[in-house]
Amino acid sequence: MMLRININEALESLSSAKQRTVLALIGIIIGIGSVIGMISIGEIVKNQALKQFEDMGINIITVSKDYDSPNKMVTFPLSGTLALGKHVPGIASVAPYIVSGTQFSHGSKNAFIDMLGVTQSFFDICKLTVREGRLISDLDSYRYFCIIGSDFADSLQKSGTKNVLGSDFKFGKRIYTVIGVINKVSEGGGMLPGGLNKGVITHITTASRSFEERGINTFLARLKKIQPVPVLQRELNHYFGAKQRGLTIKVSTAEQLIEGMGKQMRLFTLLLGAIGSISLIVGGVGVMNVMLVSVTERRKEIGIRRALGAQQSDIQSQFIIESVTLCLAGGIIGILLGITVSYIFAYFAKWDFIVSYAAILLGVGVSTAVGVFSGFYPAREAARVDPITALRGE
Amino acid sequence: MLRLIDIHKTYKVGPEEVEVLKGISMTIEKGELFAIIGPSGSGKSTLMNTMGLLDKPTSGSYFIEDTQITYDDDRVISTLRNRKIGFVFQSYNLLPRKTAIENVGIPLVYRGLKKNEIKEQSMEYLKRVEMDKWANYKPNELSGGQQQRVAIARALVGNPAIILADEPTGALDTQTGQEILTFFKQLNEKEGITFVIITHDPDIARQCKRMAELRDGVITDRQRKVDR
Ligand SMILES: Nc1ncnc2c1ncn2[C@@H]1O[C@H](COP(=O)(O)OP(=O)(O)OP(=O)(O)O)[C@@H](O)[C@H]1O
Ligand SMILES: [Mg+2]
Repeated sequence: MMLRININEALESLSSAKQRTVLALIGIIIGIGSVIGMISIGEIVKNQALKQFEDMGINIITVSKDYDSPNKMVTFPLSGTLALGKHVPGIASVAPYIVSGTQFSHGSKNAFIDMLGVTQSFFDICKLTVREGRLISDLDSYRYFCIIGSDFADSLQKSGTKNVLGSDFKFGKRIYTVIGVINKVSEGGGMLPGGLNKGVITHITTASRSFEERGINTFLARLKKIQPVPVLQRELNHYFGAKQRGLTIKVSTAEQLIEGMGKQMRLFTLLLGAIGSISLIVGGVGVMNVMLVSVTERRKEIGIRRALGAQQSDIQSQFIIESVTLCLAGGIIGILLGITVSYIFAYFAKWDFIVSYAAILLGVGVSTAVGVFSGFYPAREAARVDPITALRGE
Repeated sequence: MLRLIDIHKTYKVGPEEVEVLKGISMTIEKGELFAIIGPSGSGKSTLMNTMGLLDKPTSGSYFIEDTQITYDDDRVISTLRNRKIGFVFQSYNLLPRKTAIENVGIPLVYRGLKKNEIKEQSMEYLKRVEMDKWANYKPNELSGGQQQRVAIARALVGNPAIILADEPTGALDTQTGQEILTFFKQLNEKEGITFVIITHDPDIARQCKRMAELRDGVITDRQRKVDR
């Protein structure tokens, strides 16, 4: 009951918002905002990464050409790569691919898109599924067929192409017939080559005849069981070293990727955490200052309340509640700010937006703590005000 | 009701000690209307603050309703002040951001009463000082006399043992001051409420049942001279 009265009191003094109150609150808002933003974005990234590995499984590796190879010109041989499963016991299947940026012209529109040349196994390893039409098969290796990402298909439809399936489009110098549209995939941070939703996929043999970039620099492989990276690395180097002189490889596993993401997140967390803590300290000191000034300005009120029977502890809790209410008001704005920032982040990264309830709880907790912390000393000063001098001094 | 025995109060001003109360002994009975007069600086307010438990005497004993006051626990002192004492000040001392009815309710807030109970009782006391029409006015929207009425309602609301009024008419014109005193006299006569009134005004003092003068830190009872 006392609590509600005190909160009202605090809101009253907040609504008569003085400049220094607003300034102090900006610190709290930025502090809580960055902490919440940081945690929310972290959750979004984690969620996204896990989602992709949930789809693909974590027994996937990416093998890429080591760009420090003694011979920089060599690339993976197609047939040798496809035969890998027969020669290296741990490998279940492989999916080599070629990526190339390609000019796309359609009507008056010109765009630059990612084109991918893949084998049939690619769809299985990447767990890509078809939305319309069918996928590319190894029987299409001499045909100028392609399948397109769902975003690309949607944008074609929007710009007037009624039947995307069966239509012909010019990518680079060649004309391809669309035979399928794949379902949307979750992108970012995983093993998949980027840009699938906006891109075009054709068969790798077709690609090696028509792409500007024709060498295979990377392939995906599914392992029979998870193996240590050095072992894989040794076996694969041995295998490819014998096939292509001077070709060395690098293996990255799902585990490494998750770990790397974790490292990046930690850096990000550290940065925002530092910004957040500094702002919170600045905000906390600001609130403390606001409260100290308020105690001085309201000495008379304190004297009156004491004369009417307020205990020192009543006065103390009144000022602490006021400080907490102040910080909570800032904290709630900060939470909204942080969530908005993470929403914008997710929107532009095309990632699933999630609200982290743990973050909200933390935001409320931290702002309450800052309120108690920065209100404690002023409140003690208020409780110690001598009622007689306070009542006498006009 | 109130009993002071050999109360001394010394203030330290720099290295010097100033003795303001030099052994005050007096008793105030239930139902009294007691005026204290005396020149400025004679220690009237100090005496009243001591009676009202805002100030702690340097030495001496003080009893409220036969309970001796020990000054070691703020909670006990504050609770006694809340329940036994009602203050009326010269400068009204209403909280400027609160409405009349909210101001009246403050002593009850510190008793932990429920919001609607506080409201109900505050309104009742506003009615008694004929200020119920102004319940939702802020102090700066009221005249001095009206503010003092609200302050009186606030002093009465907790049904205290005694009302201590430090120059309650000091800031008011003669007529309004007289109205306030008449109101005190009515409350004293009809309801037996005990008053101690500090005043500079001999006219006011003369109308009280009993009067004492404070001079040089010593009190002289002048009851016989006023009793008519
Ligand atoms: N906190 C204090 N420190 C030092 N001296 C004080 C303090 N409080 C009061 N005094 C002194 O005690 C004396 C009595 O003060 P008090 O306020 O009780 O007088 P008063 O009789 O109420 O005067 P007035 O009629 O002007 O209100 C004064 O000389 C004053 O200066
Ligand atoms: Mg005085």
